Amino acid sequence: MNCAEYKELLVAFIEGLLDETEKHSVAEHLKSCASCRAELKEVSNLRDHLIKNGKILAQSNLEDKVLDRIIREQSVRLKTTSKIDASLNIRRIIMKSKITRIAAAAAIIITALITFYFVGNPLGATVTFADVIKPILNARTVVFDMIVGSEETGPVMHDIVVGSKIRRTFSNMDTILIIDLDNAKMLTLDPTSKTAAYIDIQGPLQEGTKNFLEFVRNIVNNLKDMPAQELGQKDIDGRKAIGFYVADKPNIELTIWADPDTAQPIRIELLMGQSLYILKNIEFDVLVDETLVSTDVPAGYTLSQKQFDMSQFTEQDFITVLRLWVEHLLGGSFPQSLSLQELMSLTPAIGEKIGQLNISDEEKTQLGITMGRGFVFFQQLGPNGVDWHYAGSGVKLGETNKAVFWYRPKDSAPYRVIYGDLSVKDVAPNDLPK
Amino acid sequence: MPDTDKYYIERCLDGHPDDFRYLVRRYQAVLLAHLAGKLGNKDKAEEAAQESFVRAYFKMDSLKKADLFYSWLLGIADNVAKEHQRNEQIRRQREAVRSFSEEVPQPELSQDFALESAIAELPQAYREVILLRYYGQHSCNQIAQRLDMPLGTVTKTLSRAYAMLRNSLQQRERSEVYEV
Repeated sequence: MNCAEYKELLVAFIEGLLDETEKHSVAEHLKSCASCRAELKEVSNLRDHLIKNGKILAQSNLEDKVLDRIIREQSVRLKTTSKIDASLNIRRIIMKSKITRIAAAAAIIITALITFYFVGNPLGATVTFADVIKPILNARTVVFDMIVGSEETGPVMHDIVVGSKIRRTFSNMDTILIIDLDNAKMLTLDPTSKTAAYIDIQGPLQEGTKNFLEFVRNIVNNLKDMPAQELGQKDIDGRKAIGFYVADKPNIELTIWADPDTAQPIRIELLMGQSLYILKNIEFDVLVDETLVSTDVPAGYTLSQKQFDMSQFTEQDFITVLRLWVEHLLGGSFPQSLSLQELMSLTPAIGEKIGQLNISDEEKTQLGITMGRGFVFFQQLGPNGVDWHYAGSGVKLGETNKAVFWYRPKDSAPYRVIYGDLSVKDVAPNDLPK
Repeated sequence: MPDTDKYYIERCLDGHPDDFRYLVRRYQAVLLAHLAGKLGNKDKAEEAAQESFVRAYFKMDSLKKADLFYSWLLGIADNVAKEHQRNEQIRRQREAVRSFSEEVPQPELSQDFALESAIAELPQAYREVILLRYYGQHSCNQIAQRLDMPLGTVTKTLSRAYAMLRNSLQQRERSEVYEV
C-alpha cells in the first residue's frame, strides 16, 4: 500500500473499524511515515472537534418544549375547522384505539341519564284514572322503547328496567349502558372493541335522575288527581287502545294510551316544554333475565382503567358542546333550533368527531366527558321557554353582539346570556333580547 | 420492533403522542447541529428544531416509509431553516429601510458553528452519516442498521465526509484570512 491508500484508511483506523491485519499494517506504516502521522493528527483533531460539539449539543433537551408545542398546536387545531379537516388524515387513531371508542361513548353516555332528568315537581293536583296507572305504580320490571322527539326522526332507546337498574341500548349507536341508580354507577360496554368502563354519576345527576320507575310513578302520582280528558279508542301500534290526556299547561302535557281490557299502558307521550318523549311497546312485569342488568363486567370484555366522573357539570361544559357542534358539524352556523332531540341525534356524530380529532386518547376522553356534562347541563335547565330560550338561528360563530342562548340559573335574578362568540354575560330580565 | 423509528411512529399514529418524545430524544442534537449550521445561532437553531419536530409530528401520516423518518425530518428542518432565513432577511431589509440605511447588515455567523455550517453543506448522504455518528451518538454499526447500508459503505462515507469537511474548513480559514 502506498501513502495515499493508507491515508484513506485513517478515519476507519481511529474509528476502530479496521480488522486486525489492516490495523496492524496501518500502525506499522505510521511508525515510519511522518506525512501520514501528520494526516492522522489532523483527522484526529477533526474527530475531537466533532465529538466535543456533539456532546455540547447533546446537552440540549427539547423534549418537553416540543411536546408542549404539540399540545398547544392541537388545541389551536381544535378551534379551527379547516385545520381540523387537514388533521383528519390521522384516521387510523380512530379505527385502532379501544380507548377512543370509549371516549366517544363517554359523550353519549349522558343521554342515558338526561332523559328523565328534571328538577322539582312540574305537575300540580288531582283526578283519577287509577286502573290505567296501577301497573305503572306497582310494576317491578318494565321493557319499552323510548323516543325523544318526533317518532319519524328521533333516535330510539330500548330500555329494560329492573327496579333501580336499567339496561339501555340505542338505535343510532352500538353502545350498551347498564345504569345502577342506587349506587350512582354506570357500566358502559362497547361490543365492537369489547371494552367496558365504569362511570361515576354521583351528585346532582343521580339526584335528578332518581329511579326510573320512581320518575314515572311521580308523574303518574301527580296526575292521578288531575282532570283527565278521555280521548276515546284508537289503534296504537296495531293494538286497540283507550286514551287519557292530562295537561298542566304550558309546560307539561301527558297522554297515556292503554289496553282497554287489561288497563295496561302501551304508549305514553310526555311533552315537557318543547321536548317530546314517547314511550312505546311498553310491557310491565315481564320476566327479565337479571344478568342483563348486572353491573359486573361481562366475560370477554376488558375493563378500562379510566375514571369517568359525571358528578359535576357547568355552563362551560355546555359551551364546549355548542362549540364542537357549531364548528365541526355545522360549519360555523348555529343550529336552527335547540332541543334534546337534536342533541341526542347528533351525539354519535359528535362522538365520532371527537374520535377524529388529532388529540391524545386522554384528551378525547376528557372532551367526551365534557360533552356529556354539557348535555346534562342543558337538560337540567328545565322546560324550554320558561327557564331558557334559544335564539341562535341564523347566527354565525364569532358574532359578538348576537345572543344565541339565555337561561336563568337557579335562585338567580339576572339571566346568563351566551353570545355568538360564545362569551357569556349577566343580563337583567328586562334587558333580555326580545 | 420496539425502539425503531417505525415503532414510535406507529405508536404516535395510534394515538400515543407522548411517544413522540423518544424520536425527539433520538434526533434533537442532530437537528440542532444541522440547523445551527444553517442558521449560525444556537437560539435560532433551537427554535427551528422545535418547529421542525412539531411539523413532523402533524405531518407524520404523510410519511410513506417509516424507515425514512430521519432523512424526512432533515428535509423538514431544511424547509424551516429556509423560512427562518427568508423571514430574517425580510426583517433586516425592513429595518434597513426604516433606518434609511442602504447597508443591510449580514447575519452574524458564530465561529462556534463553523463546523456545523460545513456539515450542513455536505451532500445529503455524507451529512446524514456525520450527524448521526457525532451528534446522534450512533456507532457505525448502528448507523449501518438505521440507514440500512453495509458497514463498509458507512466507513467509506465517513472517510469521504472527513475529507470534504477538512477541505471546506480549510477554505473557510483562508477566506477569513483574506477578510481580515
